[in-house]
Amino acid sequence: MEVSASASTAAVTERRGIPAASFVEDVEAYLKQSGLDVNSSLGFLQERLQQYKIVEMKLLAQQRDLQAKIPDIEKCLDVVAMLETKKAAEEALITDFEVAEGIYARTKIEDHNSVCLWLGANVMLEYSLEEAKSLLEKNLENAKASLEVLVGDLQFLRDQVTITQVTVARVYNWDVHQRRIKQAVKESKS
Amino acid sequence: MGPRRNEINTLDNTTLRSSPLFISSPVEFLLSPRRIVLKMQQGEGSETQVTWEDQQNINKFGRLNNRYHELEEEIKVAKEANENLEDASNELILSDEDVLRFQIGEVFAHVPSEEVESRLEKMKEDAAKELQRLEEEKESVLAQMAELKKILYGKFKDSINLEED
Repeated sequence: MEVSASASTAAVTERRGIPAASFVEDVEAYLKQSGLDVNSSLGFLQERLQQYKIVEMKLLAQQRDLQAKIPDIEKCLDVVAMLETKKAAEEALITDFEVAEGIYARTKIEDHNSVCLWLGANVMLEYSLEEAKSLLEKNLENAKASLEVLVGDLQFLRDQVTITQVTVARVYNWDVHQRRIKQAVKESKS
Repeated sequence: MGPRRNEINTLDNTTLRSSPLFISSPVEFLLSPRRIVLKMQQGEGSETQVTWEDQQNINKFGRLNNRYHELEEEIKVAKEANENLEDASNELILSDEDVLRFQIGEVFAHVPSEEVESRLEKMKEDAAKELQRLEEEKESVLAQMAELKKILYGKFKDSINLEED
């Protein structure tokens, strides 16, 4: 990431609704430019941090959902693949599946031509094996792509949080530094 | 509800009080949910400037640290998976049935034991490869973190703390 030394903002000003934290090159110049005194600027930065925290919670929840969804889709693909091999071998598939919690029933699946897929919203559709496979594969790809984007968002967000935290510390330290200088000047005069 | 005069709220909601003249404790905050503490302490009078490059290094360190913890979790899960597959193949050797119930998705399909064996072997191979990939990524992350630590401690010395609680 090559950024010119004179720029005080990050290369992106925001990402998908998350405002970027502008990097402060020099604390004094930053305070003069914003026209805020130390406490107000610290307040503003703290508020920013809270906002970031809220967004982070939201993104983490989305990430958890996606991470649960992906293995589910993969399991469905396994079952479809199994049916395909059985179809090719022209054998019936005997399985035990769960009828209710803890109760399993034995079934013999002879017609391997179609499966029903749960699409959500209480809707289930019947598909041929090939259609089911391509639909599931598409869903899997979409889920994985969304997850990648989400992870990128989270990384960006965490970077902004870090930048803001460091700015808070620097503004605070600068303020203390100033007070110390003033105090030293006062003491040397008296 | 901003901070009152002479008070600073840190992220874990403790407040540091300071008189206008003297700071009794440094400003601490959490760099990551895993509690790496980035302390920027009061210098003796000279203020080390933080450049954009430093900021990027700090950001990168935070990101690597997060990734490191994620990897630890993933490695734990992968190790468990490997163990389960080992147990399963041991059981397979002991059993002498022809047809076994092999879990695919949510159902248990009846599969002849040779096929079970070959499936299990393939799953074990994949799991071992996955574990190795995760371990290698962990090593790389640790190495990068060590490098960054050297750089950041070199510049900031005592003003920064990159260790975990």
